[in-house]
Amino acid sequence: MREHLLKIGVSGIRGVVGEFLTPLLAADFAQAFGTYVGHGRVVVGRDTRFTGPMIEHAVACGLLAAGCEVVRLGVQPTPTIQIYIAETGAAGGLGITASHNPPEYNALKLFNHEGLFFNHYERSELLDLFHQSDFYQARNEEIAGCREDEASPRERHVRKILPHVDVERIRARRFRVALDGVNGAGSRMSVWFLTEILGCELHAIHVDPTLPFPREAEPKPETLGELTALAKRENCDIGFGQDPDGDRLAVCDGAGEMLDNDDVLALAIEAALARAPGDVAVNLTTSNVVEDVAARYNRRVYRAAVGEANVVERMRSVQALIGGEGSSGGIIFRGVHHCRDSYTGMALILDRMAATGKTLRELAEGLPHYARRSGKTSFVHGRLGGLMLAMEKRYPEAKLDRTDGLKLIFEDAWIHLRASNTEPILRVAVEAREDARAEDLFGDAMALLKS
Amino acid sequence: MSQTLRISTAGVRGIVGPGLEGKHALEFAAAFSVFLPQEGPVLLARDPRASSDMLREGVIASLLASGRDAVDLGLVSTPVLQHAIRERAAAGGISIGASHNAAPWNALKFFGSNGTYLNSGEAAEFLDIYHLRRFRFVGWEEVGKLSFATDAVEHYLAALEAVFDIGKLRGVRLVADCSSGLSSILLNRLREKHGLNLTLLNASLENKHFSHEPNTTARNVNLMLGPVVEALGADLGVLFDMDSDRIAVCGRDGKAVSEELVLPLLADYQLARLPGRLVITNLSTTALLEDIAAQYGGEVVRVPVGRQHAMDALAIYAADRIAIAGEGTGAVMLPEFRFVYDGMASLLALMSLMVERGKTLGELVAAWPAYDMRKHEVPLDAKRIPLLMMRLEERYHDFARDTRDGLRVTLPYGWFHVRVSNTEPVVRIIVETRGNGAEELARELLSEVAAYA
Repeated sequence: MREHLLKIGVSGIRGVVGEFLTPLLAADFAQAFGTYVGHGRVVVGRDTRFTGPMIEHAVACGLLAAGCEVVRLGVQPTPTIQIYIAETGAAGGLGITASHNPPEYNALKLFNHEGLFFNHYERSELLDLFHQSDFYQARNEEIAGCREDEASPRERHVRKILPHVDVERIRARRFRVALDGVNGAGSRMSVWFLTEILGCELHAIHVDPTLPFPREAEPKPETLGELTALAKRENCDIGFGQDPDGDRLAVCDGAGEMLDNDDVLALAIEAALARAPGDVAVNLTTSNVVEDVAARYNRRVYRAAVGEANVVERMRSVQALIGGEGSSGGIIFRGVHHCRDSYTGMALILDRMAATGKTLRELAEGLPHYARRSGKTSFVHGRLGGLMLAMEKRYPEAKLDRTDGLKLIFEDAWIHLRASNTEPILRVAVEAREDARAEDLFGDAMALLKS
Repeated sequence: MSQTLRISTAGVRGIVGPGLEGKHALEFAAAFSVFLPQEGPVLLARDPRASSDMLREGVIASLLASGRDAVDLGLVSTPVLQHAIRERAAAGGISIGASHNAAPWNALKFFGSNGTYLNSGEAAEFLDIYHLRRFRFVGWEEVGKLSFATDAVEHYLAALEAVFDIGKLRGVRLVADCSSGLSSILLNRLREKHGLNLTLLNASLENKHFSHEPNTTARNVNLMLGPVVEALGADLGVLFDMDSDRIAVCGRDGKAVSEELVLPLLADYQLARLPGRLVITNLSTTALLEDIAAQYGGEVVRVPVGRQHAMDALAIYAADRIAIAGEGTGAVMLPEFRFVYDGMASLLALMSLMVERGKTLGELVAAWPAYDMRKHEVPLDAKRIPLLMMRLEERYHDFARDTRDGLRVTLPYGWFHVRVSNTEPVVRIIVETRGNGAEELARELLSEVAAYA
């Protein structure tokens, strides 16, 4: 498989810094962005990558050259940046973060004036501007300058969360919480949020934003060994693992057992629906456990294509209260902002524990069990259609959903196949009520796809 | 075609927006990082223009991405930056600012580890790297860091104090027009430290609307500075450009002393202390320099117009053979400051001259033979320049000619110089005669040039 060292596409611009992602590209892209959003106030924040300040200077150059006023937030989680944009009425924003990618990568996340990810149309229009080098070139009298605001973003963010949980009830429990901040953008804010705001007894590791990532950046069971050991050793009530830009959340219990991300989302949905009525929107790959939880409150679950922007668009169109992407640990709560937000996730789950008096393990065990398998396989460009067709033929009894790739839905299980947006690989997810059934379907599907 | 961008050995200059863009800051800084022969940080200075903030961001991004640390000295003038480069043993420096140009303009100027402008060879190599885009961006672990230094002005002032006895200059009643630029920072500190008798005009830094075009011309002296000097009964008026590398002056009468006379005044001061040394200047400056040099057994070396030619000449002669170098624009370099165009040093040298000789500016100037100079510029049609030059050479073939930079002809009663500007698309005509007669000669040349322009 070819290595994808630079990607300029509908998801923005991402690449290995240096030879591939250069300051020239970043500045051009920012100038195209500034031109696109119309020379207004643009918010810029970044995660803790070493290359962040360099990219930030390039981005500021491009934005100023387009006639934008630049508001620099410094190191901030992605949801915090998004909320700041919406709260301050900015024209848009850029997040300098490669999210869960390794440290040699960096990227620009693009936000519109509502603090939402650019949708497909916005992204392709911006891309056209970029490719045509059709940038606005401001004259001296039109150049607006930079402002800094590093203090107020976290306050604005937390002010949005608190009305949706019972803070006093959470504080009264003095939860013992373990945290792995991956030395990311949320590190300091997480410590402040969990101790000062939610009154937890915190046992934190990797919360120094000046240090490199101590582990693989994606928060998943394989990378969170230190967190689970810490949670167990300190006899914690719960452990939280973040990614470098603080949008994703992984959770473990006091025994150091990781919860499935789908179950974390289901618990957050339960916490939200227990307080206020509303429907749910999740992506196609999210577990049916969310349907079961929603059914307890007689609410509907809507499905969307994979990708935060798609889920958010769906949530808005059906006015869903809460949603997310189970597999990637993304919880999106309308009351705070239409973005994946690890802080909202932490608050909702702690609130649920406080409200029920149950341990995290007890809450998780209250969820229906599903067996899940996932994997990926590379494919040759041009052969994807044939693979999909073969799958359809192999399972004539399945109902089909073609919203995003192909989802084959059975009475007791589903298979979801979709090509990655960024690499020539096919992602395969399987879920079933029974372990054996999931194993069979997954083995069968992978064998077919590889043949 | 309106030319709003100029890339030359002097750096890059243009009207921001239609000419000079953010990408130029990024690309030039990337090329400069590769060009600089030694390891080490690059120092940055900028003027208060709004566009300087934009260009600064691009410069920093490329330096860091090239693995260079950047040290931002902030809003300081070019001579302060040049001094800091040597003092901090930096690899080089970049000055962001368009000195004497109007607000829509900006420029990037580049300095090597000795704090001076690049000479022709260095500049050519630098431009080759730029044009071939031989940039070298490093991996994430080697990306440079930005830091800030706030003490550059104090160190620079200490260097001035080491050369000039500034306390002795208190008796001079001085009015300074800072052109909304960086000289006010230095002058305020000098007044605080040494009690200079100083009145400041246009001393707030402006980013979009300057009090007047920040150029050291007689017109700008007479605009505001001259009347204030006269009204206050001051001894000296000094006008700085935006980054304080050059000056224009007036005496008690408030009338601008020709910018051509700044260099002769300072040459007088320097040669009196350093007799027999060389004066390095260009082909367009006043012949008065030869008179002054002769008085002290010195000699004038003339080079083509343009900073890089002066730098090349300075590279040829040993520093202890040179008394002064400069041009007729009021930009002057002293060997005590390792040949940096420095308006503040020029001012202090001029004040020292007045105090030591016990004379007013008017008296100093009046003692010299009278020259009459005219400067004109005519818009350029590049294709017809060779024909024009041939025609002029033909017409003046009986006289001594210098063709290193256009055509300079020495006449029995004066000289003239016709050349193409390095920075603007114009032909410049400079005429000087002993006593009167410049007007007539200039008219004659103008009619020749106009036929070809």
